[in-house]
Amino acid sequence: MAAHPAAKAINTQEITDKARRDLLQLLEAVRGKKNLVLERSLAGTIGLFVKFSTLQEYGVDKVFFLENHNVDSSQRNVIFLLRGDNAKTVRTVAEQIKLVRSESKIDHEFSIIWIPRRTRVSDMVLEEHGVLGEATISELALYFVPLEQDLMSLELESSFSDLYLRKEPTSVFASATALMRLQKQYGLFPRILGKGDNAKRLADLLQRMRSEEDVNASSDPSKTYLTSFGLTPSSVVENLIIIDREVDFPTVLATQLTYQGLIDENFGISNNQIEVDTSVLGGAPAPPQQQSGTAQPPTAATKRKVPLDSSDKLYPSLRDANFATIGPTLNQTARRLQSDQQNIKQQDQSIADLRSFVSKLPSYQAEQASLKTHTGLAEEILKVTRSEVFSAMLEVQQNLLAGSDPSTVHENIEELIARDVPLKTVLRLLCLESCLSNGIRSRDLESFKRQILQAYGFQHILTLADLEKIGLLVPRESHRGYLNPIAGAAGQTATDWNAVRKSLNLWIDDVQETDPNDTAYVFSGYAPLSVRLVQCILQKSYLSGLVNTRPGSTPPTGGGWKGFEDTLTRIRGATVDVTQKGHDADASHARKTLRGSKEGPKVSVVFFLGGVTYAEIAALRFVSGQLEKSSGRRIVIGTTHVISGNRAVGAAVEKRKFVE
Amino acid sequence: MSKATADWTRVGDRFYRRTQLYDSIFDPDLELENYIVTGAPYSGAVALYRDESKIYSFRGSQTAKSSIDLYSCAGKLIRRITWDKGRIVAVGWSEEERLLVVTNDGTVRSYADLQSDFSPFSLGHDAEEYGVRGCKFWSTGFVALLGNNKLVAVTRYDEPRPQALASAPVGEVISWTVIPPEYTSSRSVEVLLAVDGTVHVVDAAECEDRGLQAGPFRHISVSPNGKFISLYTDDGKVWVISSDFQDRLSEYESKVKTPPKDLQWCGNNAIVLAWEDEIHLVGPNGAASKFDDYNSFVHLLPDIDGIRILTNTVCEFLQKVPDSTEEVYRVGSTSPGSVLLDAVEQLDKKSPKADDNIQMIRSNLDEAVDVCVRAAGQEYSVHRQKQLLKAASFGKSVLDLYNSDDFVDMTEVLRVLNAVRFYEIGLPISYEQYIRLTPERLVQRLVNRQEYLLALKVSEFLHLPVDRIYVNWARQKVRSSSTDEDSLCEEIVRKLNGKRGVSFEEVAHAAYDEGRGKLATELLEHEPRAGKQVPLLLSVGEESVALDKAIESGDTDLVFYVLLNLKKKMPLSSFFRTINSRPVATSIVESSAIDQDQELLKDFYYQDDRRVDGSNLLLSEALAAGDINAAADKMKMAAKLLRDSKDYTAQVVALEDAQKLLRFQEAFEKDLNEPFVGLSVNETLSKLIKTGNMKRSQKVQTEFKVSDKTFSWIRLRALVSRRYWIELEELSKGKKSAIGWEPYFNEILGAGNTKLASLFIPKCTHLAMAERIEMWLKCGLANKAGEEALKAKDRNALEELRTKATGSAQLDIDRMIAQLQKGR
Repeated sequence: MAAHPAAKAINTQEITDKARRDLLQLLEAVRGKKNLVLERSLAGTIGLFVKFSTLQEYGVDKVFFLENHNVDSSQRNVIFLLRGDNAKTVRTVAEQIKLVRSESKIDHEFSIIWIPRRTRVSDMVLEEHGVLGEATISELALYFVPLEQDLMSLELESSFSDLYLRKEPTSVFASATALMRLQKQYGLFPRILGKGDNAKRLADLLQRMRSEEDVNASSDPSKTYLTSFGLTPSSVVENLIIIDREVDFPTVLATQLTYQGLIDENFGISNNQIEVDTSVLGGAPAPPQQQSGTAQPPTAATKRKVPLDSSDKLYPSLRDANFATIGPTLNQTARRLQSDQQNIKQQDQSIADLRSFVSKLPSYQAEQASLKTHTGLAEEILKVTRSEVFSAMLEVQQNLLAGSDPSTVHENIEELIARDVPLKTVLRLLCLESCLSNGIRSRDLESFKRQILQAYGFQHILTLADLEKIGLLVPRESHRGYLNPIAGAAGQTATDWNAVRKSLNLWIDDVQETDPNDTAYVFSGYAPLSVRLVQCILQKSYLSGLVNTRPGSTPPTGGGWKGFEDTLTRIRGATVDVTQKGHDADASHARKTLRGSKEGPKVSVVFFLGGVTYAEIAALRFVSGQLEKSSGRRIVIGTTHVISGNRAVGAAVEKRKFVE
Repeated sequence: MSKATADWTRVGDRFYRRTQLYDSIFDPDLELENYIVTGAPYSGAVALYRDESKIYSFRGSQTAKSSIDLYSCAGKLIRRITWDKGRIVAVGWSEEERLLVVTNDGTVRSYADLQSDFSPFSLGHDAEEYGVRGCKFWSTGFVALLGNNKLVAVTRYDEPRPQALASAPVGEVISWTVIPPEYTSSRSVEVLLAVDGTVHVVDAAECEDRGLQAGPFRHISVSPNGKFISLYTDDGKVWVISSDFQDRLSEYESKVKTPPKDLQWCGNNAIVLAWEDEIHLVGPNGAASKFDDYNSFVHLLPDIDGIRILTNTVCEFLQKVPDSTEEVYRVGSTSPGSVLLDAVEQLDKKSPKADDNIQMIRSNLDEAVDVCVRAAGQEYSVHRQKQLLKAASFGKSVLDLYNSDDFVDMTEVLRVLNAVRFYEIGLPISYEQYIRLTPERLVQRLVNRQEYLLALKVSEFLHLPVDRIYVNWARQKVRSSSTDEDSLCEEIVRKLNGKRGVSFEEVAHAAYDEGRGKLATELLEHEPRAGKQVPLLLSVGEESVALDKAIESGDTDLVFYVLLNLKKKMPLSSFFRTINSRPVATSIVESSAIDQDQELLKDFYYQDDRRVDGSNLLLSEALAAGDINAAADKMKMAAKLLRDSKDYTAQVVALEDAQKLLRFQEAFEKDLNEPFVGLSVNETLSKLIKTGNMKRSQKVQTEFKVSDKTFSWIRLRALVSRRYWIELEELSKGKKSAIGWEPYFNEILGAGNTKLASLFIPKCTHLAMAERIEMWLKCGLANKAGEEALKAKDRNALEELRTKATGSAQLDIDRMIAQLQKGR
């Protein structure tokens, strides 16, 4: 199918609805009451698009986690809902089916729903265990899950470690499939731009899939034949920008300073939810319709789930702001609510006034509840950010980002190690240094390693080895990077941060946090490279204006990377720039004429391969807002998952201890 | 030309028509009464096989061999399947013309697309033991009734999985039928069993008695839309009820003693009862009509919008006259459509009445045109199709504005319908069926009949993709052709190349199934999708090519799949060699082996000389080990792997330190009766200090060369956490500190001991005066802060302090300010 006729822009709600419909249909296909077995990591994801109560309406009796190995035989129907990529999961399923079958007296009906697709390996493993014939197998093509209207995630928690630690391209393939589905709905991305070796791989895969799609569509009888007439360039999407996380590790490692970013750093947002002590929220009673309609078992009494999405009254206006401005904003809101309340109490009310007040009451109460929650959270975060350790850490980080000589901060880092700050904090700083200066001098690195092993345990030999594999913490080598002119050719393996910092203005000294004028506000000075790369494409004149303050210099024009080629060669990884045309040039041309001058608002899809941080999301929303004002365009963000520095470093951190 | 209404029959207030589709269908010698006949939906092929329960005359040896014969509706033999495997219980069709043959022992053979070989599957253990008594088919599945009254359902044929339904009541099943899943409220198939006097409804979960009393029911049948059920009682009555058993809709008394041979629905509003050579058509409200002009045995082949009647001599289609047709042709009709048709006739006669007619229906002429177009679609006679289209065209020409899309579409569809209805093709498909079947599947049916040319023509005419036709042709070619492989390959490639969307993989697969491995490989090279080549490459033994193709496709599942296969087939060393040169394969093996087969990984690292990885693997095992000795042993091995090279000295030292630490901790545990194992060096130090074992902590410090700075921090934090104020006070008397004195101040202050904290302020000599003032203030000692300012002779600072200070401190500061003034 070519461009969706009614679609003005990418509609994420559609994706949510479809996912829900598909899942419920699969559940309905199994007659009667059923027990549902989930992978733990999927529970939250599924909670994003379907409520537990809805599942119950569709006959789900109990929900089990696969990891708990406690599936019971209380229902005849047992449905497994799992990701099929992982052979280990498949094996667990096979074992549990065998177990339930042997222990139970009733004749069970097993169904397995694979997400997002049924794999050959799963079939093979099930066959080896002799249960392939025992279960009805179906698949739920769940790729993108919208987290927000402008944010779609594949929710592949392991994609960072898969890509960079294990070098396994599973998530590249998953991303390509997801983007391909997007293209099928909205038409081809007219232009694919990207930076990084994996971005190149993804772009190549998209090209390949496109050529294979012709054959696929025709040999799949279930699809409509219309698809086989080839895709034409989209009228909705302007371009796809792929950012490989590897290109920009420092942004992940730096501590996010937006409200949402800090919530993530401190509480860990997963599937738009955080879990906090009730004491943090001022002991507020749970709201009547608790949003956590997921399949989680009731949590401990002291913990509460807090949904963080646009259904909240205040959150959308707070989340992307720099944390420094949160306090005043909350104060203002509190005052406004208070004055509203007083108005009601003081003035003599006519019945009409009273009625209008009563009708507003629910929203007013929601706002008040939200205010209470966010005040609690902000206070909790403030406790952290005011601590001495935090400011010591931040000082090191900002110095590194601003480009000062890394050896000046070594002493501070050593002190932090001695003070037993969390391992991840230390590792983030060291990795940040390593990434920004293409490695740490061998002697210094060895000394740091020794201190870390002594402070946090020798099991972290493995942690350090993994960090080196990922490329986050490496010794500086003479032949690496920009110092060697020969290595400066295509496929740059290291980024010349000093040059790039200058040419893309990555550090802004006089940053405005309250009324931001540049994306640098999200890190109080550092403008994330990933977002700058997007600006290279979408905000050329702004960016070049930042760098060339001389009057009279003309901003670069043209599409794609034009005007910034020089800078790009100084950044590691391949550069992607592909223009996609339809098979039938005439047809697409005709379509263009038909559309005429009524060029609707265009969307740029920015896809982060290997994860995106909330700070970057905030920065991109800021860019999107500016674009919308100037030209009516906007940005939709796609990603494999949402990442933070702790999660990135955590991919390497060894969690076991000796002799437990 | 006969009148359009000639074959109409009035039943109640409706008209039904019998359209003769073909004549002289079968050899007159064929004793149709001895055969069981089933037809594929949408006027598809007809399967005949001998009814074993009937006696038949012996006709020499060739007919004695039993077979299933597939004919077109016009009686053209499409395929003969000789049968020698057990007793056939049921033969049925699926929507896509897949033939299913079920035998007594529960074996099902499924013949796709009329041509290819079958794929078998079994209905399971119960069917084998008790035997299958009968099957009822719907468009995508069937239900089998077993000898023990158990019901087994198969809901899909691409991956058949027999599922037992809820257990049915005991007792003889007199008649039964199924409601397809798409029409039930539960969305799973429901079976209606007539047992004793009542009907039971059985689905996957439960069995329910509907509590009817009028049984036993000889026949039971469900209407094509699943809304109505017809029942034939023992006393010759036909009942029609709604399928939820709530409403009784009509009743008909057949007044015939012998129960009918068959009872089927004709569309959704009439029922046909068939005896040997006579049928009754029962319409709504019990109105009925008899047809007894058949001179041989009658078979009923129900379809969605009517019923095909098959005898030796004719094939007829019996249906309710479509509304549009009735409107146009009914005798005495004054509808606009009928008037328009008349106008065209008048026009042919050059009569001025033509214009009168047009003027008469002027106001609803567009409606008349629509009706004529629709009625044309319902006609089998080309003459009448033309007549109606002409009328429509005439009406159209009079109209100022008319959207001709429907008209054009209809002419196109009629061309296709007429082409496939031709007796040599034998697909007497109605317009309704065509719409339901879809053009794509009609083309597929043509391909099934090897009518490639017509299929191509139709596809091109309707702008449908043609790749499937070519692929099917090529597959058939590969199967049947005996020419040598090279020229065959060349011929196929020549024909198929450059066609969009052609899948060579399917052709190659057909070649492989025929045992032509070389041809398969050759053809496979033309397959554009790397991933699709993989399974076949694996089966022909081209493993490393398969691996490369899998990697090329980017699909890790496929790569993993190939790797698993390779590992089974190859010796380990060559398996390692194969993956070694392919980084993606290596990483997939590594990451999968990590959680299932560490030994494999060890071998791999050893063979590949990846020492650090090997050593780390051992360290990981050490972590998993349950006791100190085992862990230490593993670490020893890990260190041994690295010892030969001097690149890894640091890691060797770390591994040795780790063992040393474990030994220390073991000793501490014994001596101090406190858990230590598992702690890091720093944590061990901290714990020793907290438990007051300063000596031991110093020993650990020197042993592990912990820097003074680090040690000072650990000591400070440990002491503060335990509120060991005396020790801290002792420290304040020290001359030098590796970390300066400020941390002492801060930590102690943080613990709330201002008095002790203040002891450290004078030691922070390197700090600026203002900071020290701040420190004093934090301890609540404003006068001390004043002294500090006084020392620095900073009047402003003093003034400021004065505003903050209270009580006696304020007086002190006043005094100091005075002192400062005096001093000036």
